[in-house]
Amino acid sequence: MKCEEVMIFFEEDPERRLDDAAGSLVRAHVEECSACAEAHESMMALRDRVAALPRSVEPPLDLWPGIEARIDATKVVRARFGRRALMAAAATVLMLSSVIAAYVVGRQQATSVAVVASVSRSVSPEVLAVSFAGIGVHDYQATRQQLLNVLEARRNEFSPATLEVVLNNLRLIDEAMGEIATALGEDPGNELLMRQLVTTYRQQVNLLERAAILPREI
Amino acid sequence: MANLCAAPASPPMVRASELGVERDPSRLVARAARGDVAAFEELYRLNVGRVYALCLRMSGNPTLAEELVQESFVRAWQKLGSFRGSSAFSTWLHRVTVNVVLGHQRSTDRREARISVHFEDSVPDQTARVAHPGQTIDLERAISGLPDGARTVFILHDVEGFRHREISGLIGVAVGTSKAQLHRARKLLRKALSP
Repeated sequence: MKCEEVMIFFEEDPERRLDDAAGSLVRAHVEECSACAEAHESMMALRDRVAALPRSVEPPLDLWPGIEARIDATKVVRARFGRRALMAAAATVLMLSSVIAAYVVGRQQATSVAVVASVSRSVSPEVLAVSFAGIGVHDYQATRQQLLNVLEARRNEFSPATLEVVLNNLRLIDEAMGEIATALGEDPGNELLMRQLVTTYRQQVNLLERAAILPREI
Repeated sequence: MANLCAAPASPPMVRASELGVERDPSRLVARAARGDVAAFEELYRLNVGRVYALCLRMSGNPTLAEELVQESFVRAWQKLGSFRGSSAFSTWLHRVTVNVVLGHQRSTDRREARISVHFEDSVPDQTARVAHPGQTIDLERAISGLPDGARTVFILHDVEGFRHREISGLIGVAVGTSKAQLHRARKLLRKALSP
């Protein structure tokens, strides 16, 4: 029996014991081949460690209030307005969950009031405010500003190269938002554009959150 | 903006279980399917740990995992009418969750193809925040460091117990591809965990 065949045997069924008839050839090989014996031992060890992983992990926050709010919103909107409005409401709640996530990060950081002006200028706040209002979100600028403040407070901890990468990505996302907002201005009821705006917003919040917790470089 | 600046409101919560309400999943499901939100909350309490663990391992991001948990339960609420009881509710919920996570991954892949975020490698490993002792942290960290495809198949197969044929259907790849990804994942994990 070749090593490759033995490895396939292990791979197919790592839990299989080598004391049955089919395993006798494998056992004979393993007794002679230290590499395969080591591989088998390693696979069994991995299997045991995976089996010991906790199947249940409690989330750090109680997530039920957010779920209940979405369920309630769904029930109310569906009853009053039907499916089209339901999608807009779902987007709204999605945005609010991002706001809460931003708060969780933001409340743990220093609160400098300085502004990363180079980013803030690259998109029209008025255009975006109108667009977000269209999907029921009114805290866009505040959320964004809070996370930018966190980044600003920590900017001396990062290398210029890292800051440049972060700011370039923010500008890129801002530009995408600006384009979507402009298109929404021409077609305010376009659900696809609304969803794109929501996902782009989430991406920006995620980027800022991740930047806020980057390890200190300087 | 008040909600961002105020201290998080967390009034003492009285859980339904502490009030002696029923915790029989099948009865809770039946009540929830009739629109009983309190029954659905009980189902949430009974299952949130497993759902969160799955979302956390598959996403590798605690914040995103929380969003995915919420989305999974909302989706489950919306689809309760289609639950026929041929499997346990927890099994059905698990499958709903897997679909939510995979759907998110697919949409993220499409989005990131358009807008590239460049500092992925600098992001600290947040999965290690999960409170597991000793070796478990190493394994969790190693799993979170796997390539996306290999991580997904490894978690679904070796951790969650799905079969290759089921995984094939869930993620839209051939059975052989699923097996190859699993082989790759195990090999990378053994290498990462070797002394």
